[in-house]
Amino acid sequence: MGRTAPTYRQALEERMKRWDEFARLLTTPEEREAFELVRTGARRYAAQATYVGSPDLLESILLSVLTDLAARIRSAPGEPRARP
Amino acid sequence: MAPFPDGWLLDVTESDDGRSVVLWVKSRRTGRVRRTAVEYRPPFRVTGPRTELAPLARYLGDRPEVETVTLGSGRPSLFDRRPRPMLTVTPARLPARRALARAVDAFGGYTAFTLYDVDLGAPQLYHLTHGLYPFAPVVGAGAALVATEPPETIDYATPPLRVARLEVRIAGERRGRIPPPDGRIGAVRLGDVTLEGPDEADLLRALVGELAASDPDVLLTQGGDSFDLPWLYRRAAACGIAPGEFALGRERAGFRPTRPARTFESYGRVLHRDATFPLPGRFHIDRENSFLYDDAEIAGLVDAARLSRLSLQTVVRQSPGTCFTAMEMAHALALGAHVPWKKNRPEGFRRGDRLVAADRGGVIFLPPVGVHDRVDEFDFASLYPHIMVRKNLSAETLECRCCPRTPIRAPGLGYRSCVRRVGLIPRTLAPLLARRLAYKAALRQPGISPEEASRLTRRVRMLKWILVTAFGYQGYRNARFGRIECHEAINAYARDLLASLIPVAERSGYAVLHGIVDSLWVRPADPLRPPDPEAFARAVTERFDLPLGYEGRYRWIVFLPAVTHGLGVPNRYYGLYEDGEFKLRGIGGRRHDTTGLVRRFESEVLSLFRRARDAAGVHALLPRALARADLIAARVAAGDWPVDELLVRHRVGQDPDAFVTFTDSVAALRQLAEAGARRGAGESVRFVLLDRESRSFRHRVRVAELLTGEERYDREAYLDLLARDTETLLAPLGVERTALLERWGVGPAPPRGPYRSPETAAQSTLDGAPRPGPRAPA
Repeated sequence: MGRTAPTYRQALEERMKRWDEFARLLTTPEEREAFELVRTGARRYAAQATYVGSPDLLESILLSVLTDLAARIRSAPGEPRARP
Repeated sequence: MAPFPDGWLLDVTESDDGRSVVLWVKSRRTGRVRRTAVEYRPPFRVTGPRTELAPLARYLGDRPEVETVTLGSGRPSLFDRRPRPMLTVTPARLPARRALARAVDAFGGYTAFTLYDVDLGAPQLYHLTHGLYPFAPVVGAGAALVATEPPETIDYATPPLRVARLEVRIAGERRGRIPPPDGRIGAVRLGDVTLEGPDEADLLRALVGELAASDPDVLLTQGGDSFDLPWLYRRAAACGIAPGEFALGRERAGFRPTRPARTFESYGRVLHRDATFPLPGRFHIDRENSFLYDDAEIAGLVDAARLSRLSLQTVVRQSPGTCFTAMEMAHALALGAHVPWKKNRPEGFRRGDRLVAADRGGVIFLPPVGVHDRVDEFDFASLYPHIMVRKNLSAETLECRCCPRTPIRAPGLGYRSCVRRVGLIPRTLAPLLARRLAYKAALRQPGISPEEASRLTRRVRMLKWILVTAFGYQGYRNARFGRIECHEAINAYARDLLASLIPVAERSGYAVLHGIVDSLWVRPADPLRPPDPEAFARAVTERFDLPLGYEGRYRWIVFLPAVTHGLGVPNRYYGLYEDGEFKLRGIGGRRHDTTGLVRRFESEVLSLFRRARDAAGVHALLPRALARADLIAARVAAGDWPVDELLVRHRVGQDPDAFVTFTDSVAALRQLAEAGARRGAGESVRFVLLDRESRSFRHRVRVAELLTGEERYDREAYLDLLARDTETLLAPLGVERTALLERWGVGPAPPRGPYRSPETAAQSTLDGAPRPGPRAPA
């Protein structure tokens, strides 16, 4: 197909391959699990990041990960409930 | 009131005298088809600088393959604002058109000239220049043939077509097996008649006689392009019957295909089209070589042929995109423009960040994995075509010079649309949209006969395909009237629409669950006060001037996760509407490569889940679903599952010699090659797994064509397939493949070593060895 630029999802997966190296030096299961959460967070808001269409991939990834974390914090026990 | 027609124009074909076209008209009174040849040699046009056109005219004037050359002026392109010098070239013979055009292009060094109307077929041009179309009701004869109504007529009478099935049987062979290269034809079925006989030549002559007597308009086959027709011609030649004596069409034609087989890539898949054999005056529909037939059937194809002015024979074998392009051509010619031969509008250079901003698709959410209930689904009907029409998106109306202050601008990109003239794409699409709505409205009429309903449904489906491709063709590099910026603009409008829809839905009392491009899944924010979905659809339709339809309410819907990362997959879900109908997307039963085993398991689980009234009901049924899986697994493990339900289908993605690793498909391909049936890229293989660990192509799989029914299949491989599918369906309920396999007593598969085939010697002799001949239908 005639796409010139990779989609955000493709660019994200490509960038996250680099993160594998980062993960290799994590030493505890807790850290590895937390790292997987970050990965999931990066993927969760792909639709929204695509919509922004920012040329800055990292900006989109950060927004996605931070939104995911903030949503988790808000829905954690003891915190005000996030909207569904 | 239109005059009463004498008959119907079935088809226009090129005559082999090279100077005329043949009109095939079916008489309304007798039902017979008459052949009339009419002299017709359409010209093509050339534009370029006047200083270059004059020498070209002199050069062409001396050439024998040119009938006439005239220098005049015209506005051949939709982009032309004032007339330009234009050369009109009429070739002496129809088959010389293309060669002549290439000569002109070469004369101008491939840059000086732009050529028009080169690759439209003479039949297509004849239709367009004479106000005719396939299946037109007509009066008069020959060159004076006149259609009694325009092609756009919605409520038309279809000509009564005689359809006959054709099936060839090789003596002593079962159909579907690989026939021996010199296999004699033992029987031919034509319609209700089966011709048999010990003498093959007599049998073939009897077939010609039967064709003349029953005179069908359409021959319907299952694999006719790859097997029945080539085999008939091949045996006719072997029996020494001359082409003049053995015509399957309504006039004699050669035994060679008009279009060779080809392999091509589309949307990331490698596809294969069989060769096409000519049957002048008669149509051959091969269900296996037609992408559209199963959806559209003859009613839909006739509709598309009328609108595109392409022969039914062409429509049935081509993609809906070809039909759409032909419709664009028809509208372009009607506007007085001509059809450019080679698209000469490369994408402009632009800054990288602009490209990233522009080159995006529609909004596709990741749905929340799990079982949800009380979900309402809404879809925009033909969203992209509607956007193209509403926003006047067409190559020549985008960023036009006449409307710098237009209010129609693509959100985020700013591409301007013309407000002074309607573009070619909207002109082509608007009547199609209206037509589809008219058919749908007619379908809702009370008291509609089942035949009429079926006819209209087929037409609606055909139109849907054409409308879907209309969008894709904007971004296709070879599309004649496409332009990438249109493609981007459409997406930009669609993204903006979905984003605007979210707050509207929330204000109406909905929470958005999932959205894909033109569909929205929502749930009442307050379950005790659900909004009125029909009212919501009406309000949105009015507000955005785009038709939003209410698809229905789900009792429950399951959004499935990706195996790799566990987040939702946009188009993998299954759910039960309140009216008791399922909607299934991306699960096994919807895929072509699914085995009967998996299909069976899925239908059992779904019929079980049909009882669930809500999400809790689905959860409550999980133990029973697992019990079904256990039962099936026990039968598979016992080895007595029927092997024909274990056939795996694979489309071969590359040339068989190009495979590096030894996969199941490679084993199947080698087995077929050894039996004398070579398959190429884009074709399918079907096989049963016998021993996945085996390094021998003979023992690893058994292809469908060689199946005896007594094979011992690879139990672990099929238990693994079953476990995968169970996980696909039930993962949101907490089911995991590894746990299932453990439960069924299957250990993890041992790692595979490097490939060393025991038949390495045999393989090297197989390379390219088998003759490329006709194949048995898959």
